[in-house]
Amino acid sequence: MAQLETQLDGVGSAPAGLPPAETLAPPRLRGGLRALDDSRFFPIFLLTPILIFFLVWNVIPLLWLLGLSFYRYKLTSSRAEKYVGFENFRDIYESSALWGTLGRTLTFMVTTVGLATVLGVGLGLLFWGSTRMPGRRLALTMLFTPMVLPPIAVGTFYRLIYDPTFGVANYYADRIFGRTFDFLGDKDLAFPAVIAVDVWMWTPFMILMTLAALGSVPKAELEAAEVDRLPWSKRLRYIVLPHGKFILMLGILLRTIDAFKTTDLVYLMTNGGPGKQTETVGLNLYRTGFEAFQMGDASSLAVVTLLIAVAFTSIYLYVLNFRESRAQAQTGAGA
Amino acid sequence: MADIRVEGLRKEFKDVVALDDVTFAFADSQVTCLLGPSGCGKTTLMRIIAGLERPTGGEVYFGDQRVTHLPPRKRNIGMVFQYPVVYRGISVAENIELPLKSEKLSKQERAQRVEEVVHLLGLGASVDKDITQLDNGTRQKVAVARAVARQPRIILFDEPITNVDAEAKLQLKRAFKELTRRLEQTIVYVTHDQTEAMTLADQIALMNEGRIAQCDAPRALYNRPADRFGGWFLGNPGMDFFDAELGPGDGTGRGGATLASPLFGAPLRVGGLPPGAGRTVTVGIRPEHVRVAPAAGADGRGPLAVEGELLRKSISIGRQYLLGLRVGDRTFKAKVAPAVGEALPASGPVLVELPLNRVALFGTDGRRLDATLTPAGAGLPVAAGTA
Repeated sequence: MAQLETQLDGVGSAPAGLPPAETLAPPRLRGGLRALDDSRFFPIFLLTPILIFFLVWNVIPLLWLLGLSFYRYKLTSSRAEKYVGFENFRDIYESSALWGTLGRTLTFMVTTVGLATVLGVGLGLLFWGSTRMPGRRLALTMLFTPMVLPPIAVGTFYRLIYDPTFGVANYYADRIFGRTFDFLGDKDLAFPAVIAVDVWMWTPFMILMTLAALGSVPKAELEAAEVDRLPWSKRLRYIVLPHGKFILMLGILLRTIDAFKTTDLVYLMTNGGPGKQTETVGLNLYRTGFEAFQMGDASSLAVVTLLIAVAFTSIYLYVLNFRESRAQAQTGAGA
Repeated sequence: MADIRVEGLRKEFKDVVALDDVTFAFADSQVTCLLGPSGCGKTTLMRIIAGLERPTGGEVYFGDQRVTHLPPRKRNIGMVFQYPVVYRGISVAENIELPLKSEKLSKQERAQRVEEVVHLLGLGASVDKDITQLDNGTRQKVAVARAVARQPRIILFDEPITNVDAEAKLQLKRAFKELTRRLEQTIVYVTHDQTEAMTLADQIALMNEGRIAQCDAPRALYNRPADRFGGWFLGNPGMDFFDAELGPGDGTGRGGATLASPLFGAPLRVGGLPPGAGRTVTVGIRPEHVRVAPAAGADGRGPLAVEGELLRKSISIGRQYLLGLRVGDRTFKAKVAPAVGEALPASGPVLVELPLNRVALFGTDGRRLDATLTPAGAGLPVAAGTA
């Protein structure tokens, strides 16, 4: 090809492929900065600000929390705090109410994340396939409104929507079933009602994650599948899932951690009631700490919660990394 | 099998016209290469044939069937992409078999087809390997095997060896040559690499700026480019071009015109010029057709040889020499055989001759002029570029 001729010209003469030596040298810095740039401490220097931030706002409070969990310490009492060893943890272990709350929180977490994922993936696939639908952009933007609303607003809205006398939900319930329900006051309905709101709020997030995951699927592979006449099920299994699963799993992980510590939504809608039907660990923690001011008990519960969250994260990371490293091991063996 | 016809095909992307009224037929059971520089519309043309892109205007036919508005899955085609597409998590054999599972074939038939293509492409050693264990070259072979195993009417290749390393490129090219020789399907092969096109094609359709500039057998395309673009794009390096002014006829009453240029040792008579051809023409010659000899060895000097200067000399592929030459105020390139190149000095005066049967004339619009060139006063005319 004609464009190659300049390259060929260079073969016999000077090494034209290499730039002159001076352009390869790094930009010059003056004095001290230059010494720092050459030093092996340079990466540490760059990391220092974030490390300080992390230490002050994360590590020290965490250690403080851990320390507090071994004390009996009540803010409203004049008695001095007292070291009680693992007594706070034993109280948690022996409290059947707390076990109930924990179980409910896990149920809440699994149900909301599960439903939001199923709905999000389904709707995400529909959105993905509807590139030519007019108003797609607007629809997408509007879908995200629940996610950008503060939970305090969502909770208040839904308390009004679910209101037994003048709530809009009961207006329709009355027209369809001929009776009204006290959604948030009924012991069987309150928990599903809260779950429904959380699913409403977070399904768009899973749609977003699904769209991101689908966006990471190479177009050529989908085109090849179309030409190869693969049915939809096989396209999902052999192309979409292998490419998109990491982003989707990340979304599920984030939602799991977040759902486990749900507090504000429940606090506003039911305040844990009726009875303790909708009390989550987060809400219990809030009440112990900031309504009863039992800092020792609250701290130990916070430590337990943290450990549970860490456990979930580790499981996900293990699953993701395990698959990744297995794939890499195979590639390595083949090379 | 079926031939592919496109009629008045037009494709616009926002402000860009990718295809400009292309009408063309891809011959049944032949390998047609779409060759052209980046952005000439060759991939767009192929994607419209595949159905992956909708044309702005025009029609596509497979045989007698109008397919313009059919989606790819209903066109019964096979396609190999630039980026080797393999399906994850399954073995090579399963990859090849996967599309066959939707084709209502018996199990034995499927197994037999897989075995056939595996053998055809020399994939025997990789059959049971997981797809992630393979390098790009082998993956591309798997993609080709998958497209071929389904036995579609038409197989499209979209620059299939661009994304593999040099060693695998050579191997793939060989495998494709063997494959295309055996297949009876209509094959369209898009590439920007002329050696690839020359190796594989029964005919090459040269594309430029959204149009098909010329379609011909590889050798004919190389020797008789229909326009300046074909001369420039093909060959390594491409043609040398010189502008020249035609003089009036030589007064012999035979019509035509004369061409006097410092590049030719004698004035030339230009015959058979089409009516309406302008006075300005472009003289083109392939660098490998330029004859160069040391100035000292003046024996055997042709009548058209002129004195020129060798500016530089460098070794090119196949130990051929690439020369930079100057004659008068014109500089150009020549490519000569190793023996000739070695005999030349590193630089200095040389003798340069442009053989008339290798010279092509182009009009001001860039199209080739069907003219004959003869030394003025000589007998039989030599058709320009007939060899």
